[in-house]
Amino acid sequence: MRRVLVVPITITIAALCAACSGSAAPANGGDGAQELTVFAASSLTAAFTQIGKDFQTAHPGTTVTFNFGPSDGLASQIESEGTADVFASASGTWMDDVAAKTGVSDRVDFAENELIVITPNDNPANIGSIGDLANDGVALVLAAPGVPVGDYARQTLANAGVVQRAEANVVSNEEDDASVVAKIAGGEADAAIVYASDVTQAVAATVRSVTIPSAVNVVAIYPIAVVDGAAATSTARSFLRDVAQGPGQATLRTFGFLPPPP
Amino acid sequence: MVALAALGTAFVALPVVALLIRAPWAHAVAALSGQGAWTALRLSLQVSLAATFLSVLLGSPIAWVLARGRFRGRNVLRAVVILPIVLPPVVGGIALLAALGRSGVVGRWLHDALGIQLPFTTAGAVVAATFVSIPLFVIAAESGLRSLDPRLEDAASAAGASRRYVFRRITLPMLAPQLLAGAVLAWARALGEFGATITFAGNLAGRTQTLPLAVYQTRQTDPGAAVVISLLLVALSLVVLALLRDRLWTR
Repeated sequence: MRRVLVVPITITIAALCAACSGSAAPANGGDGAQELTVFAASSLTAAFTQIGKDFQTAHPGTTVTFNFGPSDGLASQIESEGTADVFASASGTWMDDVAAKTGVSDRVDFAENELIVITPNDNPANIGSIGDLANDGVALVLAAPGVPVGDYARQTLANAGVVQRAEANVVSNEEDDASVVAKIAGGEADAAIVYASDVTQAVAATVRSVTIPSAVNVVAIYPIAVVDGAAATSTARSFLRDVAQGPGQATLRTFGFLPPPP
Repeated sequence: MVALAALGTAFVALPVVALLIRAPWAHAVAALSGQGAWTALRLSLQVSLAATFLSVLLGSPIAWVLARGRFRGRNVLRAVVILPIVLPPVVGGIALLAALGRSGVVGRWLHDALGIQLPFTTAGAVVAATFVSIPLFVIAAESGLRSLDPRLEDAASAAGASRRYVFRRITLPMLAPQLLAGAVLAWARALGEFGATITFAGNLAGRTQTLPLAVYQTRQTDPGAAVVISLLLVALSLVVLALLRDRLWTR
């Protein structure tokens, strides 16, 4: 339902803002701002929710609000509405996009994420390796092209030399990694490719993981930055430091993320 | 009152007008041909018409029972049938998965015994669209049946007409405008369906990717083309509403 509303709401707000040009930013003020809005890739949902709680504990009086979604969708929301203080993307591409259209500062890579193959627990299609995704009759679910994890999945399938036959097995192009995981956890499809961090404790019992050899695997690099025009710039900076260098790094590790490239 | 009406109208019309303003007209043709919009349009028409047909087929007996039946639990029945209107469509999709998915309550049996799988198939998209549009037809048809003066039917019966003749020559013609209105509402709801479809049937071009899903996916790579495809949907709805205006809103 939320997604259905995004388009008309975005359009309405865009039109209203255009009409009254110089849209009014929330009057939070820069110093000691109490509210921080973070737009983050949906693969970061579990880890960032925890980091947000810890940040609020460490900064009493501060409220961190998250908007999780596919990085591409978040990028276009930021560009049309500009309501984000911090943007954490699952790919450099969409951060580049926001940097070009809205502008960002303090950009830094803060994590890496590997891809893995997941199947339902009973593994109905007998998937033992990424190559098996090309077998006849495998019901494969991927994130849609344009969604970072969808593009990465196709890249790793290409590296494994099975992209064409695997593409023919795709039964659905999902909107984000959370929807992909849900389709496997619910046993609706035979296999999917998602981030290692997507197999959270909550779903670990309902899916089976198959690792992808590092020779063909694609590693997603996650950048984070303060969005230009942020209402809470100083709080945004300290949240960013928390994620990139501070206690957030340890939290990210426990949720399956790898350290950023040196 | 007129001023308030103008304000309300502006609220409803502004987003669509903004779409027209923002549409990249110069690239409209390329946008429509490049993104599989026509495939999605054809699929949307097939799915929404099939869902309308099923809504009329399944909804008519329900409306009849609700309007003419005299039994305990009629209000409960009505609430159950109308429930999909208030359910967020994504919840409807999850519920459909729980019922008809590959490991669903009934779906498991459909899959194992009959080899039928609904998720990720066009039939699944029709099921999702039907689920959300049935209530609209039932509401319209029931209110039509209720507003019918039973004395007309009684008079015809008393004059010796058979039940079938009464139904065909008295009941049906008088109900026709309400039934048509219900069918059009159901069709419009099916055409715009998004949440239940993407959750239950998935998103694959040519199979389950209807126009609203195509708009959503296109927006990820080409926001301008998404606006053009959205307008295609608006145009389609306007044409149908315009064609039916005399039958729907005048007596």
